[in-house]
Amino acid sequence: MSEKKTFKTAARMKEIMQEYYAKGAAAKEKRIPVAWVTAIFPVELLYAAGIFPYYPENFGALASARKVADKLSRYAEAKGYAHDLCGYARCGIGDAYAEEHPVGEILKPDVTFCCNTQCGSLSKWFEVASRFYNVPYFLLDAPQILDQPEELATGYYVDQLKEMIAFLEEITGKPFDYDRLLEVLHLSNETCRLWNEILDTAAMKPAPFGFFDACFHMAPIVTMRGTREAVEYYQALKEEVDERIKEGKYAIPNERFKIYFDHIPLWPKLRWFSELFASHNSLVAVSQYTHSWAYSFDLERPLESLAENYTEEFVNRSFEHRLQLKMNFFRKYGVDGFVLFSNRSCKPTSLGLYDKRSVLSERTGLPGVVFDADMSDLRFFSEAQILARLEPFFEQLASSQ
Amino acid sequence: MLKCLLKRKRTHYYLQKGENQLDKAEIIGLFQKVAENPGWQARQWKEERKGKIIGFLLTDVPEELIHAAGFLPYGICGGQNRLDSAIAHLQNWACSYVRSSLALALERKLDFLDGLIIPQPCDTTRMVLGIWQHASPLPFLQNFRLPRQVNRPSAREYLIGELAQLKEQLEIYRGARISNEELRNSIKLYNNNRSLLRKLYLIHEQNPEILSTKVLYTLIKGSMLMPREKVNELLTKLLKALEGETSPSGNDHIRLIISGTILEPFELLDYLDEGGGVIVGDDLQNGFRYIEGDVKEDVDPLEALADRQLNRIPFAGYDLERNPRRFFLSKMAVQKKARGVIFLHLKHCEPENYDYYDNAQALEKAGIPSIRIETEFGITSLGQILTRIQAFLELLGGK
Repeated sequence: MSEKKTFKTAARMKEIMQEYYAKGAAAKEKRIPVAWVTAIFPVELLYAAGIFPYYPENFGALASARKVADKLSRYAEAKGYAHDLCGYARCGIGDAYAEEHPVGEILKPDVTFCCNTQCGSLSKWFEVASRFYNVPYFLLDAPQILDQPEELATGYYVDQLKEMIAFLEEITGKPFDYDRLLEVLHLSNETCRLWNEILDTAAMKPAPFGFFDACFHMAPIVTMRGTREAVEYYQALKEEVDERIKEGKYAIPNERFKIYFDHIPLWPKLRWFSELFASHNSLVAVSQYTHSWAYSFDLERPLESLAENYTEEFVNRSFEHRLQLKMNFFRKYGVDGFVLFSNRSCKPTSLGLYDKRSVLSERTGLPGVVFDADMSDLRFFSEAQILARLEPFFEQLASSQ
Repeated sequence: MLKCLLKRKRTHYYLQKGENQLDKAEIIGLFQKVAENPGWQARQWKEERKGKIIGFLLTDVPEELIHAAGFLPYGICGGQNRLDSAIAHLQNWACSYVRSSLALALERKLDFLDGLIIPQPCDTTRMVLGIWQHASPLPFLQNFRLPRQVNRPSAREYLIGELAQLKEQLEIYRGARISNEELRNSIKLYNNNRSLLRKLYLIHEQNPEILSTKVLYTLIKGSMLMPREKVNELLTKLLKALEGETSPSGNDHIRLIISGTILEPFELLDYLDEGGGVIVGDDLQNGFRYIEGDVKEDVDPLEALADRQLNRIPFAGYDLERNPRRFFLSKMAVQKKARGVIFLHLKHCEPENYDYYDNAQALEKAGIPSIRIETEFGITSLGQILTRIQAFLELLGGK
């Protein structure tokens, strides 16, 4: 992690996130509606409507990284929410009932928007929140798209976007600004393009940037895509990564192996994992998770394009399609092995990994391993158990070369 | 060994006597036997008809479509099996109903199935199709992607489209179109079944000693496991046999409601019966939610199927702003004069868990005591459940 701190852009990250949260607080005073939204959500429509989007998942990730997820979760558990629900949701619901706020209070919504492309947990959490805070709730329903996108599901989503636009007009009392939407979509395209160019540098050998760097720098792509600030942030980061390439500064000191990682990191153990992999000269180069924000919107057909981009995410696809996506990443980044994180908090990313581990090894001949833990909650973390899985994997890697 | 022989003898007896002459005890016995050996009647049907059997996970699947295609719809109810065989495929924190069902397939206890339709009201059902296809392949394996928001116009239009797609897939597998007449006949058959079961539900509510809780839910379960034509014949006869019978002890029962996803394990119903309880309402997938509401027979059949689905008893898998289920529950409890509500939750069932606090609060406000019992296919400790149910019945002033 010491390498990461030398990213000059890291300081800027702190500033822009502070500015973002300050805007949220100011929105309340200026009577700009604060909307809760999910990470994979057509937030471009909210920016175009002049609504401030707030991401409770980020609150969950922050609480998890600060190792207080269990503390917040206990307030939710006291009300009957089980400890095996999504860790982010437990942080959010827990914070609503908590008497202490170790990472500050979650920003209270005036309205909640959810898209269930990611999962059914977010939609239940937001639904619960809409009752707790007594605000309207709007769900964008994304039926699973198996192998090929089809008109039925995309058309349904477009119909819902139209319903959502009517709802936004109701909330704001203003007609929806389609010109502004195009500007926002353009900014999102730029942000995503830069983000993915940066992620792609992990394919270089050795690489200046890896998955753990991406985890550190991803807050703006999640929370601020569609804004100029996000574009400027990733321009600066891209320049810095390019400089590093010129200067020969790399993500880890002695890169020998490249690893594919599914999906989300264990936030409270981010440093532990990054050091563990680095100590085995392994760069975690790529993950479906950080590549989720790879949108490319067609400004000629904005609603259809929003529907396609936000419903065709990996997490909403079939078993086989997701295998193909992983294998594409293996090839593109030239990985030597893969590590699959079966995350108790997240069934849509985790169910199926047990079978996929063997299928991927059979098809690619690469060593791979799957381990169980939780992205948020250290009560489900066993260092010994994880090492018992990972150590033989590292040995296999070393012997494969 | 002796028990096994007796069972075999009883089966033989049913077959010899013919279903036309069965009396009340024999009809109930037949359903109990099917519930204990879920594949028995399906295998027999397959052998006689040389037809195809399409299984489904409970219960938001339009069985009428499967039936209209000439296939036998078969409800996979999970089992008492150990779940070891599924552990290589599904994490032990996934829904135990789905794990149990997959384990049945892996143990070749569902080897009579030609296909499977998986409705998607939650994340586990959304993820399991690919795993199932990988671990236990079937010629016809389909998702049924239910809309998860149900109160905007887009949901209805989409659902009609999804029903049309499922119909088309069934037609391809069958090799022929499903005519409107076929579909209407199937709808009529299933409406008849629901209506018969609702009548039996009412008889149970009013006279639990002539139709116990265990028997009532066994009749519902058995309906999913046998050809529906035969089920309806048997239930019609049973209703006739029950005419005029009343409970000797009158109405001296503890009126209860069960709320949850899937009723499991059935043994707990024995405790309720023994403790003087009577179930006067429920919202279970394999309970009243399965039999309430008919499909309109005089409109476009796909639209009618969609409308029934959208108007079913609210379930946590569909996200609604105001959680109508809590109002549904408290209203039902008041209307049915229930003295208590048992939340019967499958462990790891996320949608149910997210709504639990609200639902319990709504009941508390209405002054209705409730208890939450967690069950898990294959692992539930019955002793503990018994103790808690006994304590709850005592609290409500039972025997």
